Amino acid sequence: MSKYDTVVGLEVHIQLNTKTKAFCGDALSFGDSPNTHVSAISLAHPGTLPVVNKVQVEKAIRLGLALGCRINEYHFFDRKHYFYPDSPKNYQITQDNEPICIGGSIDIQVNGQKKTVRIHHIHMEEDAGKTIHDIDDHYSMVDLNRAGTPLLELVTEPDMSSGEEVYAFMAELQRLVRYIDVSDADMEKGSMRCDCNVSVKPAGSLTLGERCEIKNLNSKRFAREAVEYEAQRQIKLVEQGITFSKQTLHYNVVEKITQSLREKEGAEDYRYFPDPDLAPMRVTPAYLEEIKTSMPDLPWVVKERLINEHGLVEDHAEQIAADPYLVALYQEINNDLKDPKSVAAFMVNQVLPNIEAETYSESILPCHPAMMAEYLQLLKSGKVTASIANQKLWPALCADQSQSAEERAATLGILINNDTGFLEEIVTKVIADNPDQVKKYKGGKKNLMGFFVGQIMRQSKGSADPQAVQQLLAEALK
Amino acid sequence: MTSLQSIRQQLDSGDLSMVGVVEYYLHQIKQSRDLNIYIEIYREEALSAAERLDAKRAAGEEMGALYGIVASIKDVLCYQDHQVTAGSHILDGFESQFTATSLERALAEDMIIIGRTNCDEFAMGSSNENSYYGPTFNGIDPDRVPGGSSGAAAVSVQMDTCLVAFGSDTGGSVRQPAAFCGVYGYKPTYGRISRYGLIAYASSFDQIGLLSKDVSAIRETLSVVEGQDQMDSTSADLASIESTAPQKTYKIAYFEHIADHPAIAPAIREAFQDRIEQLRAAGHEVVPVSFDLIDYLVPTYYVLTTAEASSNLHRFDGVRYGHQAKDAHDIHELYAKSRSEGFGTEVKRRIMMGTFVLSVGYFDAYFNKAQQVRALLTEQIKTIFAEHDFILMPTTPDVAWRVGEKVDDPLEMYLSDIFTVLANLCGLPAISIPNGVHEGLSHGIQLLARQFDDDRLIDFSASL
Repeated sequence: MSKYDTVVGLEVHIQLNTKTKAFCGDALSFGDSPNTHVSAISLAHPGTLPVVNKVQVEKAIRLGLALGCRINEYHFFDRKHYFYPDSPKNYQITQDNEPICIGGSIDIQVNGQKKTVRIHHIHMEEDAGKTIHDIDDHYSMVDLNRAGTPLLELVTEPDMSSGEEVYAFMAELQRLVRYIDVSDADMEKGSMRCDCNVSVKPAGSLTLGERCEIKNLNSKRFAREAVEYEAQRQIKLVEQGITFSKQTLHYNVVEKITQSLREKEGAEDYRYFPDPDLAPMRVTPAYLEEIKTSMPDLPWVVKERLINEHGLVEDHAEQIAADPYLVALYQEINNDLKDPKSVAAFMVNQVLPNIEAETYSESILPCHPAMMAEYLQLLKSGKVTASIANQKLWPALCADQSQSAEERAATLGILINNDTGFLEEIVTKVIADNPDQVKKYKGGKKNLMGFFVGQIMRQSKGSADPQAVQQLLAEALK
Repeated sequence: MTSLQSIRQQLDSGDLSMVGVVEYYLHQIKQSRDLNIYIEIYREEALSAAERLDAKRAAGEEMGALYGIVASIKDVLCYQDHQVTAGSHILDGFESQFTATSLERALAEDMIIIGRTNCDEFAMGSSNENSYYGPTFNGIDPDRVPGGSSGAAAVSVQMDTCLVAFGSDTGGSVRQPAAFCGVYGYKPTYGRISRYGLIAYASSFDQIGLLSKDVSAIRETLSVVEGQDQMDSTSADLASIESTAPQKTYKIAYFEHIADHPAIAPAIREAFQDRIEQLRAAGHEVVPVSFDLIDYLVPTYYVLTTAEASSNLHRFDGVRYGHQAKDAHDIHELYAKSRSEGFGTEVKRRIMMGTFVLSVGYFDAYFNKAQQVRALLTEQIKTIFAEHDFILMPTTPDVAWRVGEKVDDPLEMYLSDIFTVLANLCGLPAISIPNGVHEGLSHGIQLLARQFDDDRLIDFSASL
């Protein structure tokens, strides 16, 4: 046991996958030419007003419902003031006083241990643009395409105690927001990022140590590394009796260390007050009900159903339930095949390992779902052997789907040949060609059976039924 | 050219063309140049719009609802491809990329815009002396202020340079100059006219207002520009609001002791009392009601409006548009210099006050407290309107003062708003009606009505 406890709380920013910005009709974009999605409203021209994008509110509520939050019936937006060129109004529209979602929790698993991480609240706000300092020698450049993108900020209680748990939390949250179509949560594009508040205290102590905040981590792995490094750094300082103050840190991914951005001064005065341009909003019970009915089943519900009703093993159920597309794919194939376990095993062992994408869709599958069903049907019928199909037929189908699975198996010559005359001929030939092995077998080396089967399968080019071969061999070698 | 009805009759009879109307107003503008009414005159544009309308008329086409109306617009209203500066140096040369919803609706109904009127910088002021473009003077006596902040808008109507003026009213900016210039000044219920395209001073108080010598021109203009706008989420869906029927006689309240208020000048008191008697004589029930918050109105108004203003004016930073300081070395210096050079004294004063009342440690004592007073006021006023149709008040405690007289005494200037800020604090419709002339200077009487009772308010005003 360590002498110290690490205490971590997160602030996660989740960019919503709406079509337009939070408070105007400009399109959301990633990677477009700078300043091409900037209307007079995005640019904060005089006379412009914000209008709430209702889809952003709906998505915030979806996440709140998924996490068991209380949805605040009355909520409103506040203004947070600070001057910076990538924030054209020089205030950010956010929710300080009455956020949309309060409470809730996420369950995570680390080393087989289940843990519940409580959520403090989730609020809506708008993202800033981007300031780029290294293009020009004299000026900083500002791209306002991102300015006004809708974000959710999810704030947890300080319930995590290791980098591993932070990783698990982020992974679970990422999976969930994709599941309920709230965000693509692509951390590389910055559509999900987190700040980690880390402190250490003597094991079991109730008093929290001084806290440092690591800003803007854009990968789960970096978050895990940064938290682990920072906890060790603080423990060393504590052990050396060195006191340190609240700091804002940045994680240097090259050197793998945390570095101070600035000492956190007495809290900055953002002069929050309710935005008078946006009337307070009410979430009516009817609206809440409407959103509830439009929600997909959540991953943990689907997983339980796959285990209890479809009889899948937990690992397979978990992997399929992880993504709504995979669930749909599983259902589509199983509707044809009516063999849940085979379909699940096929997906987990043969399809998923070959996909590298973060999110699933038909376009990234190795072959068409209908062809997958044909393939599994062919296996089930016993017309091909599993190992030969796996080696030859599956790659062939993935490469070319111009023929049906059975036609392709026939072309490859791997359809099982049940013609006994044809098999007997090969058996006789193999016995005749290997007198030494026959002698040894007869002398008691029974494990040579595998050798004979292998020879025969090779000569039949895979079209022999291994069971039939075994029977014939057993007769012939008596 | 001061009545819509007579203009339309002459247009109908062929005695007059729209070109003739515009030429008349352009002549009036020329005659009153010394008063500094317009920052910019859209001479060619207005004439060619008039030609277009005359041709349309000659072709027998149906004319828009505002055909015959030529209007001026206050320099806080956005008009696509035209400059708009809010009377401020910080918006030097700024051209709007879009047209305010209200103007767009009016233009679509054949209204003509003749020019952009001067005003107090960012509509902050009660005398039209706080403009980067210099003061505007009152046509009735050029030594006097026209009121503010829509001072030039009022003078544009007063001097017959247009039929209707579009102004804005955050605490009386349409009604007070209307009183000082002897014209009608109407501020709608909050949310009745879209604020999209109105440069914000204090968002929860601001309303576009209309000035004219002819109430029916105000009514017709309102009927075109009002109503919900998807670009302004504080605009109201009027279709869902039931309007009250006009009556022959009304129950009218006035605050007891208001005539004894120390701020009120003897001439105004007398005119107010005369008006009460006239109304009674006409069969209306005019009764005193108790209202003990009158001295909280101005402080509450200034705490809340300066708070909102300090935030709304954050966007003027010299980075994307408007005045940019020349010799700044970093972004913070750019902000500080551009804003210091760009804003005038009164605007800076209000930004500082607003920043103060929103600061940690003062927020509860000022901003929150003022919000509570605002809620209390709204409650008390509601109680009064439960029993009465209108509230009657003087528009201003005195007539127009001399140019320069109150420039160095902002508190004295703020106190002159005592009777007008209530309507904005409570989002009520209000109108200033000319109420006579004292020693050559005009003054007004003000009527306030329930929220969304604008139509009845205007109709009743027309009957007086």
